[in-house]
Amino acid sequence: MLEIKCPYCGKRSQNEFAYGGDATVKRPNLGDEVSTKEWDNFVYFRDNPRGKHTEYWHHVAGCRQWFKASRDTATHEIFNTASLEEEL
Amino acid sequence: MSNLNINSSALINDHQIGSFGNYHNKEKSELLTVKELTNLSIYQIAKFKSSKANVDLVSIDGLNLPKKYPDVSYNNNDTRILWNGPHICMVVSTDTDIKEKLSSIDSDDFAVTDLSHSRAGIEISGLHAIDVLKKGTPLNLNNSEFTKNNCANSSYNGISFMLDFIDDQPLTFRLFCLRSFGGSFYHSITDSALEYGFIGE
Repeated sequence: MLEIKCPYCGKRSQNEFAYGGDATVKRPNLGDEVSTKEWDNFVYFRDNPRGKHTEYWHHVAGCRQWFKASRDTATHEIFNTASLEEEL
Repeated sequence: MSNLNINSSALINDHQIGSFGNYHNKEKSELLTVKELTNLSIYQIAKFKSSKANVDLVSIDGLNLPKKYPDVSYNNNDTRILWNGPHICMVVSTDTDIKEKLSSIDSDDFAVTDLSHSRAGIEISGLHAIDVLKKGTPLNLNNSEFTKNNCANSSYNGISFMLDFIDDQPLTFRLFCLRSFGGSFYHSITDSALEYGFIGE
């Protein structure tokens, strides 16, 4: 079982958390002219790296806060976590 | 259309009075006690993200809001304020005037929501209360991590619940889950308690 350090509650079991997707994806700026290709990239296309990956996680059965985590997709090692306002 | 019979018990069809499980040849002091918590007022206080209000200035029944995990503010009137997240607290009280006391909170800065009827509450006490909890929750309940007057949200056999450590002599915990999960949650807790024997009160 993985332990994930919630920035608000400390180390908790993985089964209190829900994965929230790639945290590096940026939504196109509001008001900008956005091409179909850019929307496509934002909505559908994701990198699938082996190694370090920045992700959103949700402490769904705890404090119900979203936060960022840096995780190795191959070993599942979690290097660091931070609130959404902080840098990882 | 018939009149609805509104009963404050969330576990009216589940909670049973009597002795259950492995209670034979045991002293009463060795057994667990399982009670349903009724007539508690439960309010959530959440500060709006846009608010610049100073949380330190909020006082309810002489209590300040707890600021971090796993703090609980409490007083002798049996009002407890549990930390639920950053700028989110849960007020649990037997005080019938708590609603008036909460009305002093500025509604421009905080959302106060009455959750009294949306939760099922169970109090479990006894020597093995912690062992019952350890069977279903991944929380670290060791003495160094979680002590009297601490609280936490976690899951018990997959059901999200809120845990409040009331007392350590005897070990007493209050458990709250969503009302609609009350039956399943009660079953999970009492099933785990059978091994030690328990008295339903």
